[in-house]
Amino acid sequence: MNVLPLILYAAAAVAYGVHFARRQPQAGRLATTLLIFAALAHTFVIGMQTMEVRHVPFANASSATSTFVWLLALSYLYLEITADERAMGVFIVPMLAGLQTIPAVSPGVERIDPLLDSPWFWVHVSSLLFAYASFALASVLGLTYVVQFKEIKKKHLGYFYTRLPSLQTLDVMNERAVAIGWLCLTVGVAVGAIWTGQARAVAPDDPNLQAMSLNDPKIFVAVLTWGVYSFAILARQTMGWSGRRAAWLSALGFAIVLLNFLPINYFVTTSHTF
Amino acid sequence: MHLVLLGVSHRTAPVDLRERLDFSSRDVGAAVEALAARSSAAESVVLSTCNRSEIYVATTADPTRAREELVAFLSDYHELPREVFLPHVFTYDDAAAAHHLFRVAAGLDSLVVGEPQILGQVKDAFQVAAGRHCTGPLLNKTFHSAFGVGKRVRTETALGEGAVSVSFAAVALARKIFGRLRGRRVLVVGAGEISALTAQHLRSHGVADIVITSRTAAHADALAAEVGGRAMPWGEMTAAIARADIVITATGSQRPIITRADVEAATGRRRADPLFIIDIAVPRDVDPSVSEIEQVFLYNVDDLQNIVQENLARRAAEIARAEAIVAEELARFTAWQRSRRAVPTVVALRQRFDDIRRTELQRLDTRLSGLPPEARARVEEVTRLIVEKLLLEPTEQLKALPDEETQAVYTEAVNRLFRLGEAPDDTAAGDAEPFPTDRAREP
Repeated sequence: MNVLPLILYAAAAVAYGVHFARRQPQAGRLATTLLIFAALAHTFVIGMQTMEVRHVPFANASSATSTFVWLLALSYLYLEITADERAMGVFIVPMLAGLQTIPAVSPGVERIDPLLDSPWFWVHVSSLLFAYASFALASVLGLTYVVQFKEIKKKHLGYFYTRLPSLQTLDVMNERAVAIGWLCLTVGVAVGAIWTGQARAVAPDDPNLQAMSLNDPKIFVAVLTWGVYSFAILARQTMGWSGRRAAWLSALGFAIVLLNFLPINYFVTTSHTF
Repeated sequence: MHLVLLGVSHRTAPVDLRERLDFSSRDVGAAVEALAARSSAAESVVLSTCNRSEIYVATTADPTRAREELVAFLSDYHELPREVFLPHVFTYDDAAAAHHLFRVAAGLDSLVVGEPQILGQVKDAFQVAAGRHCTGPLLNKTFHSAFGVGKRVRTETALGEGAVSVSFAAVALARKIFGRLRGRRVLVVGAGEISALTAQHLRSHGVADIVITSRTAAHADALAAEVGGRAMPWGEMTAAIARADIVITATGSQRPIITRADVEAATGRRRADPLFIIDIAVPRDVDPSVSEIEQVFLYNVDDLQNIVQENLARRAAEIARAEAIVAEELARFTAWQRSRRAVPTVVALRQRFDDIRRTELQRLDTRLSGLPPEARARVEEVTRLIVEKLLLEPTEQLKALPDEETQAVYTEAVNRLFRLGEAPDDTAAGDAEPFPTDRAREP
């Protein structure tokens, strides 16, 4: 089921690449159209799965990745349409296609612990996934900012100079993406903490719940991420850390997010199944 | 119908002659009307810019005669003896004329290759003529094809991309740093020609504030009046840097007047907002080490010249692609023209076939009279379809012949084979509906 969106994401990625390299407006329009169709197909797939299991499918790592890709595609489309700027697609959309191969290849079993079947859980997971999608966007914006900054500063106006949006645009979009991501991360972590307390009262002997503390690497890294992005926002407000510093911070933040999403998820977490 | 072009441009005529042959300072519409009134041409368009004065006409007469009329018109209209301008005039017919117009619309014939205004000027010239009913099928098609060429070259090539003057290069950089320039503040240090130009371009991009300071206060006042800014005492320069987003320096000073300490003092107050310094002065006004400050982008006149050279080189590299588009569209245009030339033969051929059909039907009339009305209608329909099917392929072939000579040979052959030029001998088709005469007369 996840294969059709994957094909459309891949096709859109190719079109974004052609648009970026050759700067043909038709290729750009085709890219956006393909991405919209990919997102629609993905919405349909997730909708069907939701009907089937009666909740949004993110109770295992594979389906959570699919939902993450879907959210990232929607946020990117929002950003592209509101900022009228297509150049970032060449960095984001291949990432969508790459991540979408995980659910397409190994769908995983959508089986849910009755303990998790609480509205808190859905708020917790969806706000965290949305936060990570925003951070992914922010990091790409940050990296392109650094590339563009270097070209202008070094007076070497090359390949990227003619293709990327202005520094100011990249910086403002980065700021927005970090702010939205931080908000969702805050909600996600806070809800997680509150809900753990409630769940402990219901099932005091559950081993997963016992492990819910800062000693768990997954929770620790999430809080660390929160710290990094809080610092990024604070530094921008009070110390004028915009531009290149903000760009590096958002890249660092997302590196930690990836660390949490991939190795920690699969190997060392004790409390979370993903 | 022939397309004839006659004109002067920056390639053939010096500026003083171009000025004397200029239509745009007077009313171009009146010129087109004056031309239409006296010439034998059915259609005319006058294209007049500071780099060219060109007249396009469509005429059924001989092109040589049309040219003669145009020379006489130019001479009378501008009150200039023909000997003065004749050596500088260029003229083209038919496909060559269309080719020239396509290259003009694409920006390939411009002084600065790829400059964007010319397409708008070509459009205006056509609108003026069309608004006065001075255009017809041939010029409509020619000019609309030219607009298509201009648009394709603009979207499919980078011929018009990249700034090709120092001041535009500076503005393009500013836009790459700040995005939209609306609300940005500009400081101009020292009044000069390039700094004035740059300030004016920045103003047209909506900068909020232009502050000018100069050692000679009168110069600052003069430039402030010119670009719509305000002058400021020389001594307040450092404070002004702190408030500015873009600084342009162009003093005649022999030593740097803006040091790293000055800029550090200024940027300390402004946190991390970028500061773009354009140093147009030679020798330089700004200490080069200023560019080491994180949020400062420092460009001197050589850096900007380099950008201009690179852009010019990039445009030159696009010329071949633009010429290819012109050639492609020209082929399409000449094919259209040829297919139009085949029209009279095609019309005559169809008429001949239809005459025969009607005559035969009439001859059979008495025998068919016994049939019910539906069957008679069927017979009429079937014969019409047969004629149409028989003629479909020859018609297409005639319209698609590759060149004029072949077309002449084929037309001649068809005329002879079917005796199209002569009155039909035994077809007394009295009640045959004649073809609409205006279509038959079409060239």
